[in-house]
Amino acid sequence: MSNNIKYWKGEEELNRDPQFLADQKREFGEALPLEQALSDEGFELNSNRRDFLKYFGFSVTAVALASCSKTKVRYAVPYLVKPEEITPGVASYYRSTCGGCNAGCGVEVKVREGRPIKLDGSRDSVISKGGLCATGQASILSLYDTERLANPLIKNEEVTDWTSLDGEIKSKLAVLKATGKKIVLLSDTINSPSTLRAIAAFKETYTNVEHVSYDAVSYQGILQANATDFNKRSLPHYHFENAKAIVSFGADFLGTWISPVEFQADYAKNRRPSAEGGMSVHIQFESTLSMTGTNADHRFPMQASKELANVATLYNYLAKAKGLAQIPVPANSELAGNAIEKASKLLLKNAGKSLVISGSNNTEIQQLVNAINMLLENYNSTIDLTNQSNQFSGNDTAVQAAFEGLNKGSISGVIFYGSNPVFNQNKEWAAAIAKAKLSISFAATKDETAAVCQYVAPDNHFLESWSDAEPLKGLIHFTQPTITPVFNTRQAQESLLNWAGALPANEIDALKNKAILSQKIESSSFYLFVKNYWEGLIGAEDFQKALEMGGFELPKTEGIAVYTGNVSALAASITKAQASTGYDLVLYQSIGVKDGSQGNNPWLYELPDPVSKVCWDNYVAVPKSIAVKLGLDEESTVNIEANGVKYENVPAFVQPGQANNTISLAVGYGHTHAGKVGGSLEKGFAPIGVNAYPFMNTTRDVLIGDVKITKGSEKYILAQTQTHHSIEGRDLVRESTFTSWKKNPNAGNEKSAPHIYTIWEKAEYRKDGSPNHLWGMAIDLNACTGCGSCIVSCSIENNVPVVGRDEIRLRREMHWIRIDRYYSFVTDKEKMTREDDIADVDAYDKGDFKHWENVSVIHQPMMCQHCAQAPCETVCPVLATSHSSEGLNMMTYNRCIGTKYCGNNCPYKVRRFNWFRFNDNDKFDFHFNNPLGKMVINPDVTVRTRGVMEKCSFCVQRIQEAKLTVKRKGGNMKEVKIETACQRACPSNAIVFGDLHNADSEISKLHRNERAFSVLDELNIQPSVKYMTKIRNTETI
Amino acid sequence: MIHDSLIRERLVTGDKTAADVTRDISRPILNQPSSAWKIGFTLSLIFLGIFGVSLFWTVWTGIGVWNINKSVMWGWDITNFVFWVGIGHAGTLISAVLLLFRQKWRMSINRSAEAMTIFAVVCAAMFPVFHMGRVWVGYWALPLPNSFGSLWVNFNSPLLWDVFAISTYFSVSLLFWYIGMIPDIATIRDKVKTKTAKFWYNFFSMGWTGSTRSWARYELVSLILAGISTPLVLSVHTIVSADFATSVIPGWHTTIFPPYFVAGAIFSGFGMVATLLVVARKVMNYENYITIGHLEAMTKIIMVTGTLVGIAYLTEFFIAWYSINEYEQYAFINRATGPYWWAYWSMMSCNLLAPQVFWFKWARTTPWFIFTMSIVVNVGMWFERFVIIVTSLHRDYLPSSWVMYSGSLTEVGLFLGTFGIFFTCFFLFAKFLPVINMSEVKTILRNRE
Repeated sequence: MSNNIKYWKGEEELNRDPQFLADQKREFGEALPLEQALSDEGFELNSNRRDFLKYFGFSVTAVALASCSKTKVRYAVPYLVKPEEITPGVASYYRSTCGGCNAGCGVEVKVREGRPIKLDGSRDSVISKGGLCATGQASILSLYDTERLANPLIKNEEVTDWTSLDGEIKSKLAVLKATGKKIVLLSDTINSPSTLRAIAAFKETYTNVEHVSYDAVSYQGILQANATDFNKRSLPHYHFENAKAIVSFGADFLGTWISPVEFQADYAKNRRPSAEGGMSVHIQFESTLSMTGTNADHRFPMQASKELANVATLYNYLAKAKGLAQIPVPANSELAGNAIEKASKLLLKNAGKSLVISGSNNTEIQQLVNAINMLLENYNSTIDLTNQSNQFSGNDTAVQAAFEGLNKGSISGVIFYGSNPVFNQNKEWAAAIAKAKLSISFAATKDETAAVCQYVAPDNHFLESWSDAEPLKGLIHFTQPTITPVFNTRQAQESLLNWAGALPANEIDALKNKAILSQKIESSSFYLFVKNYWEGLIGAEDFQKALEMGGFELPKTEGIAVYTGNVSALAASITKAQASTGYDLVLYQSIGVKDGSQGNNPWLYELPDPVSKVCWDNYVAVPKSIAVKLGLDEESTVNIEANGVKYENVPAFVQPGQANNTISLAVGYGHTHAGKVGGSLEKGFAPIGVNAYPFMNTTRDVLIGDVKITKGSEKYILAQTQTHHSIEGRDLVRESTFTSWKKNPNAGNEKSAPHIYTIWEKAEYRKDGSPNHLWGMAIDLNACTGCGSCIVSCSIENNVPVVGRDEIRLRREMHWIRIDRYYSFVTDKEKMTREDDIADVDAYDKGDFKHWENVSVIHQPMMCQHCAQAPCETVCPVLATSHSSEGLNMMTYNRCIGTKYCGNNCPYKVRRFNWFRFNDNDKFDFHFNNPLGKMVINPDVTVRTRGVMEKCSFCVQRIQEAKLTVKRKGGNMKEVKIETACQRACPSNAIVFGDLHNADSEISKLHRNERAFSVLDELNIQPSVKYMTKIRNTETI
Repeated sequence: MIHDSLIRERLVTGDKTAADVTRDISRPILNQPSSAWKIGFTLSLIFLGIFGVSLFWTVWTGIGVWNINKSVMWGWDITNFVFWVGIGHAGTLISAVLLLFRQKWRMSINRSAEAMTIFAVVCAAMFPVFHMGRVWVGYWALPLPNSFGSLWVNFNSPLLWDVFAISTYFSVSLLFWYIGMIPDIATIRDKVKTKTAKFWYNFFSMGWTGSTRSWARYELVSLILAGISTPLVLSVHTIVSADFATSVIPGWHTTIFPPYFVAGAIFSGFGMVATLLVVARKVMNYENYITIGHLEAMTKIIMVTGTLVGIAYLTEFFIAWYSINEYEQYAFINRATGPYWWAYWSMMSCNLLAPQVFWFKWARTTPWFIFTMSIVVNVGMWFERFVIIVTSLHRDYLPSSWVMYSGSLTEVGLFLGTFGIFFTCFFLFAKFLPVINMSEVKTILRNRE
């Protein structure tokens, strides 16, 4: 068969049609519908089947691809020009000065990716000595407060442009100056040389300006006394480290008085029992139970209104011993058990190394105190008035004059800088300010005073500012910004210089407008103002160095203040002084909130009071005797009236240790213009507590006599983190006395370790000499004052949520570390630690409840004990909590299913459960609920979700960071100091953390110390935390 | 022929014939539901609704809607869990243990007791499941191979033992109940009229023909299952008690717990059976099947187990004193005299004192009184679990963490809601399945031909 069969596809091919043959040679046999496609027709739907399939295929593929992306796209904006000093993931630290209060602690600011996230005390600062108080710790949150003013205000209207504000203010200032009207610049104490220079420049331009300063809680008593006795109106610098005998009349020097962080550190130095150095004796006479009082070796209740007579009695004992003239005192001025005489003997024995102080704002008392310290030759040893403190120097008399001037119209302009008199003086200020022709506030938020001012020129937060401070004479601290201003705010000093036309010429900087952090900060006019001054004084190089170190010290001035005082002049007022016949009201500052200047800070409100363990509210502390008389229970309220001020239904709290006939109330609460957290009438948030400042009269005395108190009609439940107060005779805290300790360093800790029978061999990682780390902690109960700085520090470091008042009422605070505080009641015969015994004695009491006045207190920090045989670990069904080979009890949040069994089985009850989602939840409208507040979150620590358990991790992120640093840079882990957040914050260095496998480490030594004991040792859970037996120096008097 | 004893009461009274039995027991299934049933069922549905709302609120918002706190992390939830598991005990005890002991009186009550067991276990399971903070990952408590890495469960944890114990108990009980029901379902299958009913009863009767071979195997399977179930009666509550006994909390860490919990479980289980049967025999007209003799037998068990539990309470006190362990001593003194004294004394009077009335014949044979007492028993047993869980936790080692706790509305709602689950199931059971084991009861009729 021949192979010539011919196949054809169409007639054209068969017939060899010429047109077909020609077309076949082209790429597209048929003409393309180009004309059609390019004309209008092409846009109509006339595609053919093939095209339809093409489109269809393409679109299906496109849709399929597009839908493959399952998460929302979020953009991370990288640095266009990476700042030299920032490495993502690595923190930078800057030295600065704390703006939490006026004490001026040097701080170290931790900055991550341009966000300051943590404040700690600077070790090179004379004042902070490495520690920082709760208020200082928490002040970082005020930077990220949504209540801050984002723009300046003109008559309560926001303006984005500073020039219009400056224009208006300048013209008004010019008018007032031309007409010779007086202007008052009302500030808190300012000890910043540069700020004072800025004010001076302002006063130079506007000669009609007078600068008046006052402190919310006044120290005028000491200032006036020193002015009279030494001709020097300033606070002395107290040296608690030199004091072997401390007698304090109501001064809460460890908590709130003048410079508590410094005093705590100094005080603690003599509180650790030592064979060579001995141990100081601390006597506290007080009417309320202050945190300082809880730490005293001897604490004697004192009626507040008898303080003058009591101090005079002490003087008399000393004068008698020294053969000097006595001053007449009213009868019965000695306290029960001749306490004052005992104190005088102690002081005489320690003359030259003793210290007597008083927290009163009464000049006469302070003059007596001066005389006593003079008698005891304490000047230039424990008291230094030559190198004085500049921390507080306000003048209440001048403020009163300013108030009257404003009211009468003799003062026409007022500028508020760091002062809020409508809140911390009285409400009448609002009317007085309204009369002024010009009123300006530099407040960062629209506070009570700013709300009634014509202009608000919001100041930067101190973490956004350049400044300096001289808290002690010759001690210069610098403040440097760690973030560009979050809002459109301007430093007050810059505003003043601007209005005065005294701004230094700005250096032309090519990068100024490129928004690069360092350049922008350094182009601030006030920076130049500060820099030029200091560079002129100490040179550019030293200034740079001082900035890095946080400051520098000038040599101390030698010499002693010359005493010209005369106590006999006081005789008249002492004999005249009568104890109030009614009840005394004592106003005090609470440890966290202090004077109330950080009115919108949830961390401070959630910090339990070290003594009462009450959070979120202020309350009237009443002694048991009053409570019984008025029939008050735990939920009662009282009405109080004094000095023409009346508050109804203020929550009452029965405070053990409160002197009979004395009630007390904390200032700093009751803000009406603080914001969402602290209360704002404008925005409809109820104030927190009541404002106690109006009780103070013009002398700003914290003691108000003859208070009327009646039972309130309403009930109120205070939020407390601890509701059982006696230790029930349990061996949880060990105590002894200094005398016993000297004889036997095991004193109080004699109980031998429980005899444990076990069939298990010690785990490999716990054996001495194994190559791993074994983390442990030691807490010295002698150093711990109970201040709670560690609680706030821990919350910041570990992103612990704020839960609010209602959750705490349900006993659900989230703090990873708490400070257990136990009272023991002291009668003539015994110490009672059992609830039943106390109730028995109460039942037979005739109404004076003396045993309630005499309480002995102990503080015990409590956090996860990282037990080697942890009860929590065995019970978790999913192994969400497990043990590391370095002795850490770890919590795997991701794995936790929330059975809470671990929490139940923890004998220390330190586990915390996330009952709700505490972030992005409107029910918990604190900083975790807004993007600004979340900037404070520590990126190294997970923010926990709802339904998981959490607890202290021994700051595992810090351990990890140290390991990574060693890995990266080389070196030895033994040389790296890892500090947990609580340890880092502790002003008295009570907490030590480290590797127990390093025999030379401080922690190993402490674990071997004779005073070391573990809590609940008998359960054989082998906690990694050891406490040092509390030694009280009680047998010395 | 069955020998008619002169001294022993008849197990089924009223001279019932086999046909009577079938007629009586299948009556509720074949007829329209009675108005009593309708009212009861509606009420149960309302309670079921309460459960739904409370559960939704809990899961939606967080466990925080309960009032449990930093120290008392288990409250009403686990109290209810142990309470319901306890109730679940009577079923297995009646069907398995009494079967092995050849106690024929069990025949007319074992079906409903077993049903009660299953429903009670369902109610009980709600609490450990939904007390989890993250219930959506609760399946991690099961030893399932997974792709999360090397994650596995912790066999040391009593909670995991619970998972196994409860699920085993539930499956065995369900199987036992169902297999026991097959001949009866087949009887119903032959009687129902509608197509749907025929289909379902046919399906569940598994082609039962009633052949001798079927019966022989049925008997054998029952015996085997009874053998498997018997240790479960002891094991389940032993393991539940281990949740507490293996912990370190004073008041929980007690070796007496396993026998004490088992006795308590039987006690409460019989209490619940008595509650149900006293009502059911009246409402459903089963007085001839569930006789006074049955009630009397149950009251005797209640009295014995109640006394056992009471002795356990006293032993705990003795041991606390004898231990010279101050935490242990305080825990028990606190139970009796602390802020929760009322719970403790409710428990004592309901569980130890109240059942002593059953020494009297009148008390054992008066249905309304037995009903009242059965409620008292269950109130007491709820308090027992509350006392163990809450009073131990609210004051444990460190007095600084001592707190008070009282249930929130949601917690109360969940508890009441589980009665909704329980009774909804029970009413459906009473409507659609034979409440009494017809085939077994027929074997103990006196006039059996």
